[in-house]
Amino acid sequence: MDRKIKVVMAKLGLDIHWRGVYLVSQFMKEAGMDVVYLGNKFPTEIVEAAIEEDADVVGLSSLSGNHLALGPIVVDMLREKGLDRVKVFMGGVMPPDHAKRLEKEYGVQKVFLPDTPMQEIIDGINAAVGNTH
Amino acid sequence: MAYRKDDGNKEPVCLFSEEHVRLIKDQYKDWFDKSLREEDRQTEGKYFTHSGIPVKLAYTPADIENVSYIEDIGFPGHAPYLRGVYPNMYRGRLFTVRQLAGLGAPEDCNERVCYLLDHGATGVNILFDMPTIRGYNSDDPEAEGNVGACGAAVDSVWDMDAFFKDIDLGTVSTSIVTHLPSTSLVIPGMYFAVAEKRGTPLSKVAGTCQNDFIMETCVGSGYEILPPSVSFRMQCDTVEWICKNVPRFNPISFNGYNLREAGTDAVAEVAIGISNAIATAEELIKRGMKFDDFAPRMSFFWDLHNDFFEEIAKCRASRKVWYKVAKERFGAQNAKSMLMRFHVQTAGVTLPATEPLNNIARSAIQGLAAVLGGCQSLHIDSFDEAYSAPTEEAALVSLRTQQIIQTETGVCSTVDPLAGSYYVEYLTDQMVQRIFDYISKIEGLGGLVQAVESGWLHREIVSYNNKYQEKIENGQMKIVGVNYMKTDNSKTAPIQVFEYPETYSRQKAKLERLRKERNDRNVEEALSILRQKCHTTENLYPYCLDAVRNLATLGEIEELFREEFGLWSFPLL
Amino acid sequence: MKIEKKELVDELIERSLKGEKLSISRLISLVERRDEYAPYIMEKIAPHAGRAYYIGVTGPPGAGKSTTVDRLIGMFCKNNLSVGVIAVDPSSPFSGGSLLGDRVRMNVKSEKMDVFIRSMSSGRVMGGLARTSKEAARILDACGKQIIIIETVGVGQSELDIAEATDTVLVILTPESGDSIQIMKAGLMEIADIFVVNKADRPGAEDISTSIRGMLKRSLRKRDWDPQIFLTSASVSKGMDDLYAGIWSHYDHLTENLRLEERRKRQLRQELHTRIENEFAKILWDMVQKKDIDQVVLDTWLRRADPQNTAQQFVLSSLKESGLWPQKQ
Repeated sequence: MDRKIKVVMAKLGLDIHWRGVYLVSQFMKEAGMDVVYLGNKFPTEIVEAAIEEDADVVGLSSLSGNHLALGPIVVDMLREKGLDRVKVFMGGVMPPDHAKRLEKEYGVQKVFLPDTPMQEIIDGINAAVGNTH
Repeated sequence: MAYRKDDGNKEPVCLFSEEHVRLIKDQYKDWFDKSLREEDRQTEGKYFTHSGIPVKLAYTPADIENVSYIEDIGFPGHAPYLRGVYPNMYRGRLFTVRQLAGLGAPEDCNERVCYLLDHGATGVNILFDMPTIRGYNSDDPEAEGNVGACGAAVDSVWDMDAFFKDIDLGTVSTSIVTHLPSTSLVIPGMYFAVAEKRGTPLSKVAGTCQNDFIMETCVGSGYEILPPSVSFRMQCDTVEWICKNVPRFNPISFNGYNLREAGTDAVAEVAIGISNAIATAEELIKRGMKFDDFAPRMSFFWDLHNDFFEEIAKCRASRKVWYKVAKERFGAQNAKSMLMRFHVQTAGVTLPATEPLNNIARSAIQGLAAVLGGCQSLHIDSFDEAYSAPTEEAALVSLRTQQIIQTETGVCSTVDPLAGSYYVEYLTDQMVQRIFDYISKIEGLGGLVQAVESGWLHREIVSYNNKYQEKIENGQMKIVGVNYMKTDNSKTAPIQVFEYPETYSRQKAKLERLRKERNDRNVEEALSILRQKCHTTENLYPYCLDAVRNLATLGEIEELFREEFGLWSFPLL
Repeated sequence: MKIEKKELVDELIERSLKGEKLSISRLISLVERRDEYAPYIMEKIAPHAGRAYYIGVTGPPGAGKSTTVDRLIGMFCKNNLSVGVIAVDPSSPFSGGSLLGDRVRMNVKSEKMDVFIRSMSSGRVMGGLARTSKEAARILDACGKQIIIIETVGVGQSELDIAEATDTVLVILTPESGDSIQIMKAGLMEIADIFVVNKADRPGAEDISTSIRGMLKRSLRKRDWDPQIFLTSASVSKGMDDLYAGIWSHYDHLTENLRLEERRKRQLRQELHTRIENEFAKILWDMVQKKDIDQVVLDTWLRRADPQNTAQQFVLSSLKESGLWPQKQ
């Protein structure tokens, strides 16, 4: 059946850098995904949107240092609401060891650091979501 | 407004005689056909600068045959200021070394600022954390996770006071890197209030604030954004008030930098910056000011990217374009109104996370281009840009890079050393024309505010980014260690990051104390007057300053603006 | 396996009817992607739907539809009404993917607000936008939302679909929306119950409302409702109170003299007509022997035949071959 991957994309909190998340969103669209772009939102609103949109994936962009503070909150809130199946991806500027911690300790599926080719992001999502479909 | 090559009846005296040029053209053809192999000739037409100007294999006087030294280039410090704004340039005064300072609580920053000043920095850049940039208090729920990260947290006059503890505001030149016009109405005001309190007259206070509505409406997505027309009005309010009251302070820095970082080329960067200056000038003239009253206080802020010669040409061209705009369009009388002074920061967007030490080389080359382009002040990005605000070690390397350029390379000994290079002059001429064309395009859309409201500028940014990304992904644009000469060892080096987790609690406690100690009636009164004035055409600056003096917080004032002016989202989707 | 899934679907329906967001969301997904249980779901849902007030919002891109909807959500919620929103955006004709941005402007900050927003790409919709957005709206209706707002970009067929799916249609324009001819061309004149001239602080707002008024006057169509025109600046919540009252006055008009019932019956008739046609086509198509359509294309191409005639002959001969057509001796 017609089964496209649905992604909810958000800029975390006050972060202002919109072009990266927009670029990635466009690539996802071109890769055949349905992308719901939220703009700047905080964890409660992001999780609420993920529920209402029946998202497979939540993508968070953070380039201003709030990744460790807000990223894990999104993951936890999704779990609390019973949405374990929703994969959380993050992208942006952060120290590599923070990225590792987000993946290992906080349940973020994958963090894409700068210089990641677009196709790698698309493949990463396809692989992660494909498993649960 | 179109750029005309010859602007008079008189025949310009060109660099090379017609006969000489004819000879060169003939011989060039000969050289091209006979000295080059077929495969070399095939490469012609395939090289471009970053902004798309075709690049030939070799340049000769024939490529600048119409250029007149007196008319088009001129002497340093003379019209059209192509070669620089001062006759003696760096012999007279070296470019100001501005390095970033701002992390954590204001008290932490004070330490960093003193450290840099002790090591020979001559100016201070204050960067703010995201809540401060976007106009929230440290204890607002929106600020969560961002307090003190990537910049300083400033909530009230108290913080500004702490930031500049033991620093004489009458001697230091401070660049207050506010982004939004709405916060430029408030934060520099805090700086002025501190100066007042310390008895430093505003006439001695020097510095710059950024104050650019493009920053609010195009560069940043923002959680909550004021509408472009409102943001533009605030921008002009600040310029007007500061020009009239703080004569040594530059009330606006037209920010090509962040626009370029967000995604435009060198031409658009300068053209949009100057278009904003044009729009601002027109508004202030409408308000009854004379061009010469404010133009000398306008400054610009460029991004120096990787394309070495194009960036140098950009710097030179931008001065000439501004000169022509000031003189021909606004009839400037004062020579200072026609001088474009600009600050440069090297391009953070060019600094990958992979093999970060390579970024020292990139930034040094970009910084060198800035100096060859004749900048007035310079910030060199730190090699750890792709991870966080710089560590102390990285910040010191940047400072040292500046000093090496200043003293060891000899490039500051003579003015505009690349003048007369066929290639550089050709590029400069091309840039001038292309910048004027782009300015005309914006005017055709009804001016810059319109171009923003309609989403045109956002679409420009997106389409640029798509092309840029494509070039990187298909290898047309090479980034060493990232998509070129990549080895298995091309790794991201472990980098230690400054963290100030306690900033939040410190700021929170300070705000609590502030709310207890300040006179609530005074705050409320000041805020209610400001609220009223929002709906008049009066300049908001004095009312903001009054609120700040009475210890109103940044967050309170910004919330008031959001309530009174409503919010805007850009029409991209 | 099948039984298990049916039980799962039943549970989803039960939970949804109690208003549980997670289940409602899944239910909409099943219907949206034409799951085998979609008809079953709609059958179970139908008796519970029909209580909400359906509002359609359309207009050209950039007119401020989402911002207006955002403000309306706030006003309905303030009056203790629950709101369901279906926001439809076009999808890429190439990849089938989409980038849906309506939520950027919709901010539900308070947990007290009872709101459910769902974005939908028109590309996902099989059998027309009306079908899926209508079904999703019905689910939200059945699950207790009192106000249903369907928002679409008015750039083609979709605004006509929206008129067939809602009780009140808001057409949102701006002073920059162009001249009256364009509005008329877009078919917006016919469907609007309420015109909103948004961004009314800009020059030209009065001009556009005057020209709309003129066109309405000249229109020969018989109406029992004079479409109203409101000037708003949704981003600063100006003019929104009047618009809100205007929406309710259209509602009051509808509830008089069974007009709402008539409108919905008319829509139902239209919907049934379309669906019956589709069903006929589908069933007949399945019954007739499937011919090699590529061969027919090639044949038509080579003979330079007229497609209309070819199609007719194709249907007739297919029916004859399947014995569905009374064959003459």
